[in-house]
Amino acid sequence: MESAELLEKPEKVSTDHFLLKILLKGREPVPGQFINIRIGRETDPLLRRPFSVFDWSDNRASIIIRIAGRGTSLLSELSPGPIDVIGPFGKGFTLAENKDVLLVGGGVGNAPLFFLARMLKERKCRITYVYGHRSKGHMFLTDVYRDLCHEFIPVTDDGSEGTRGYAGDIAGGIKRPGDYSHVYACGPHEMMKKTALAFSMKSRVEVSIERYFGCGTGLCSGCTIECADGLKRVCKDGPVFPGDNILWDRMV
Amino acid sequence: MAGLVDLSVKIGSLVIKNPVTAASGTAGYGEDLAGFTGLSRFGAIFTKGLSLEPRRGNRGNRILETPSGMLNSIGLENVGLKKFIDEKLPFLLKDGAVVIPNIAGHSEEENVELSRILSCTEGVSAIELNVSCPNVKEGGIAFGTDLKIFTSLLEKTRKAASCPLIVKLSPNVTDISLFAVRAGEIGADAVSAVNTFLGMKIDIKSRKPHFINKVAGLSGPAIRPLAVRAVFKIYEKVNIPIIGIGGIASLEDMIEFLMAGSSAVSIGTMNLVDPWCAEKLIDGLEKYMAEEKFGKISDITGLAHGM
Repeated sequence: MESAELLEKPEKVSTDHFLLKILLKGREPVPGQFINIRIGRETDPLLRRPFSVFDWSDNRASIIIRIAGRGTSLLSELSPGPIDVIGPFGKGFTLAENKDVLLVGGGVGNAPLFFLARMLKERKCRITYVYGHRSKGHMFLTDVYRDLCHEFIPVTDDGSEGTRGYAGDIAGGIKRPGDYSHVYACGPHEMMKKTALAFSMKSRVEVSIERYFGCGTGLCSGCTIECADGLKRVCKDGPVFPGDNILWDRMV
Repeated sequence: MAGLVDLSVKIGSLVIKNPVTAASGTAGYGEDLAGFTGLSRFGAIFTKGLSLEPRRGNRGNRILETPSGMLNSIGLENVGLKKFIDEKLPFLLKDGAVVIPNIAGHSEEENVELSRILSCTEGVSAIELNVSCPNVKEGGIAFGTDLKIFTSLLEKTRKAASCPLIVKLSPNVTDISLFAVRAGEIGADAVSAVNTFLGMKIDIKSRKPHFINKVAGLSGPAIRPLAVRAVFKIYEKVNIPIIGIGGIASLEDMIEFLMAGSSAVSIGTMNLVDPWCAEKLIDGLEKYMAEEKFGKISDITGLAHGM
C-alpha cells in the first residue's frame, strides 16, 4: 500500500456532496485522472471507489464525493488519518493553450472540470463554463468556479439557480459550435452525448466517461465501452475520450 | 528463512515455484498487474478466458458489489487467439510469467482447437479448460454442469492437448466431486475449484434484473466457505492436485484452502482490490511455513482431513 493521509474531516459542500483533502506525496495527477480509494481494511465494502481529482496543489489532492450508497456514505464519515489510496490513474484531458474553450459539467461531474479549468486558466485560455446540477442546494463551490471563468452559466433542473434546464441542452442551444477550439464535458450520459453531437464538427470535444469500476486498474474488463476504434476500458484507456470516438447509443 | 522451505508445487509435468497464482479474469493478460507485482513472482498467471475469435463480451452492467463479494457479467470479452499469441504472450513471457491460458470456447470443436494450438505454442506452460463460465449463452456453464457433455468435451480436449491440462470446475452442481473424479479418470492433471457461483440482483426501481444476462457470477470473500467445502469434498475423492479458489484475501484464508486439500491457490477478486495481495501472500506463506516447521506445501495440503 502506498502511503496517503486524509488531512481533515470531510467537509460538506452542498446537499449530498463532500470535499476530501488527501495527502498523496509525489503522485501528481493531471486533470481528468482519478484516484482509487479502499474504504476499510475489511472486505465490506470490498471494491475500491474511484474519484476524479477536483484539485491538486502541494502534494494534496482534493476530491468531491457524492453520497451514492453505503461506500460513499462511510467515506464521508471518515476521520483524518491514513487512507488506502492508489493512483492517480487513467488518461486525462488535453490542455489547450491561449484558446477559447467551453466546459460543460453536470452534477458531481463538475468536480474534475475545476482542476481542468484552473490549468486552462494558467495556460491563458478564455473559459466559458456551463455548470449544471439538480438544484441550487446541490451546487458546490460555484464561487471558486466563477472566479476562473470569462463567462459562467449556472443551470439547474428545477430553475432554483440560473437557467432552468439541462447543461447539455443549454450548451448546445446558446453557444455556436465555431466559437470554441476545445469543448470539455463531464456529467450524465445524455449531457455528454448532446454536447459531443453539438460541437464535434468544429471543436475538439473531450468527455470524461463514468462507468461502474470493478478494479480501476485495467484487470477486470468491467468498465469496457465500445468506441469507433474498438473496445476500450474506461479506467485504463480513459476516463477521458475524444467525444467523436464514443458510440453513444451502444452505451446502455 | 529462504532455502528452509520448498514452496514449489507439481501439476502434472509442470513445476510451479510457489502455490500462489492469479485467477483467470482477474489478471487480464498480465500487462496491468505487472505495474504492481512482478509477474515472475506468481506461481502462474491464468490469463483471461480465450476464444478463437475476439469477443466483445456482454453489454450493459458488468460489475456490482455485494456484501464482501462481487457479481460479474463480463461475458468472456477477450482478444482472441491470434492477438493473444502475437501480442499478449510475448509480454507475459518477457516479464517472466508462467503462463496458463484459460480456454473458453463456445463449442466442443472450438475448445478442442484452442487446446490443440495453445498446448503446442512455445511459452504456454499448461492450459486451463473453462467449463464453468456462467455469463455466456452457448456452452460455458453447460459444459460444467452436465456430466455427459463434460465427459465428451474433456475426452476430446485431453486428446488434443499435449501439455498439462487443468479443468476449472463449476460449483453450480449438486456434487462437484463427481466432476472432479471424472476429470481425474480422463487424465486431467489438476482441477481448479471453484469458478463463480450463479447469483442475481434485482433492481427494485426498474423492477428488472440488474444484468442483461439476468444471472451473474458471484466471487470474493462472500463465497469462501462454500469454496472451502467444495475443495474439501473433492480432496476426499481424487488424487490429482486441486487449485483452490474462492475469496482468498489473507494468509489465513490461503492456509485454510491448503488444509482443505488444495495444492495451490488462485487469487481472484482480491487482485482487483489489492494488486499486491498475491505478493504479500507468497512472503507470508514462506514465513508461516518456516515458523510452523512445514518443509513443503504437501505437508499442509489436506491436513484438515486428519487420520
